[in-house]
Amino acid sequence: MATSLTASKTPWFLYLWIVPALGLYAIFKLLPLFAGLFLSLLRWDGIKDPVFVGLLNYQRMATDDQLGPALLHNLQYGVGTVIGKILIALLLAVLLNQALRGQTFYRTILFMPVVLSFVVISILWTWLYNDQFGLINSLLRSVHLDSLAVQWLGDTKYALLSLIIVDIWKWYGFHMVIFIAALQSIPQEYYEAARVDGASRWAQFVSITLPQLQPVMVVNITLALLGAFNVFDIPYIMTNGGPAGSTNVLALYSYSQAFQFGKFGYGAAISYALLTLVSIVAVIQLRVVASDEIDTN
Amino acid sequence: MAQTSIGLRNLQLGLKAQDRLSSLLSHLILLFFTVIVGYPVLWMFMGAFKTGGEIMGDPWGLPKSLALTNFSSAWEFASLGPALRNSLIVASATVFFVLVIAALAGYALARFRLRFSVAIFLLFILTMQAPVPIIPLYVLISKIGLVNTLPGLILPTVANGLPLSIFIFRAFFRQIPSELIDAAVVDGTTRFGAFWRIVLPISTPAIATVGILQFLGAWNDFFNPLVLLHSANMRTLPVAIQSFSYTFGRTNWEQVFAALSIGSLPMIIVYLMLQRWFVQGLTSGAVKG
Repeated sequence: MATSLTASKTPWFLYLWIVPALGLYAIFKLLPLFAGLFLSLLRWDGIKDPVFVGLLNYQRMATDDQLGPALLHNLQYGVGTVIGKILIALLLAVLLNQALRGQTFYRTILFMPVVLSFVVISILWTWLYNDQFGLINSLLRSVHLDSLAVQWLGDTKYALLSLIIVDIWKWYGFHMVIFIAALQSIPQEYYEAARVDGASRWAQFVSITLPQLQPVMVVNITLALLGAFNVFDIPYIMTNGGPAGSTNVLALYSYSQAFQFGKFGYGAAISYALLTLVSIVAVIQLRVVASDEIDTN
Repeated sequence: MAQTSIGLRNLQLGLKAQDRLSSLLSHLILLFFTVIVGYPVLWMFMGAFKTGGEIMGDPWGLPKSLALTNFSSAWEFASLGPALRNSLIVASATVFFVLVIAALAGYALARFRLRFSVAIFLLFILTMQAPVPIIPLYVLISKIGLVNTLPGLILPTVANGLPLSIFIFRAFFRQIPSELIDAAVVDGTTRFGAFWRIVLPISTPAIATVGILQFLGAWNDFFNPLVLLHSANMRTLPVAIQSFSYTFGRTNWEQVFAALSIGSLPMIIVYLMLQRWFVQGLTSGAVKG
């Protein structure tokens, strides 16, 4: 049934193409998303009847003395993982962008943690961090650096840092390949022109590479930051917020309030506060990307 | 003249030496990170062959034997067989449904002039980053009676994967020259016919990208299966491994290592075979998202 190519009105049945997508999305994503918002206005323990309490849960967040530290941990996590991931990813991307031998080999291994499951990585690293039989401490002891062989997961001073290291270990490969793709799209003429002008390699890096990488840098930083705010799996499996709450993050706090303390409404409120925070970051990223596109167009 | 050419040659030699030095340095740094990445994984596999005593006494050494006892114990105690089967079903079904639904939607948004395209876009962009709150989802799934069933897990997973997949497909389909499709339509094919017979066969990159992204996400998903699936024989692999490690982690270390090894082997094998597609998929997925 051929339709005229100049028809101005779109036939109704073409909308059917998007109905399954919209339907599924509406039911299994949007519905819970908005229902959760309503849930945050209740007090409910999952067993007795829920009680409508309005904005009480949100008011409670202002006086909750565990919320501040959790947010702080997210911020520390964010700073630590973003810096670590970006620096390492950029360094390795620049190195791999040269025509070295064994490039594919390196890239294959370096990227691998990205595809491994969080569970496997978290459990494996819990083992690496084991203060008695773990690989890290036995390595430190064998080179007589015993004083550095701390309780990575058991000491409140080091626990969060230990988790940050695991997160970086898993994800830097992801940011690395994004950088590689971007590096490969920088026209070689820029570098040649710079070399003719006598610019050193470092100068070339700073004045050509870095500016060209700016959009991708924004993407990488945003993704890493979003991941840091939403992080749940690693702290849950490795330390469950401990020791003494030193690795408690917002997503974990929301979960524990709901499932351990039976405060489903409060847990939902926390997750919505987190969602708002995350959305702000996402919107900022959109603005930056959109303005970039407007500039280049 | 002669002086300049000698000067130039020295410069070239100097540059060559500098190149070789920087190349060596590059290899060293790359090797360093390769070891940091590769050794823990290797250690995990080695640990699976050791006995508990070996792990305690000699963390660095190679296993004394290649016996598979730990593997069979882990397989049994952690119910890895059913877990593997469940993960396979969930991941494959997710990939299949996302591909079908997102391809159709992406094509429609790319090539048909639909009235609400912009609104749909905004909706997706604003909500796709937000993780679904688990309690309402649980309530929803239990109201339709699908708790502790695989479809109950598959449906939300598919829904969550739709926005990014639709964007990827749409971007890809927009790049297809209209002449290709118009020619078919003039010949009397329906829009769907054009989609099925002309566009899809050349859409392998997009299909691979979406497929891999969704497979990876569904296979490694921990949180949703944790909450939506209860019984030991319905669990997916990550949950089974975590629960096994939680229960037996303090005593049967060697079996935990074996369980971890079994758990990561499928994905490692798939990754090594399709590694180019993985890298490409995740890169374009991130940039589009």
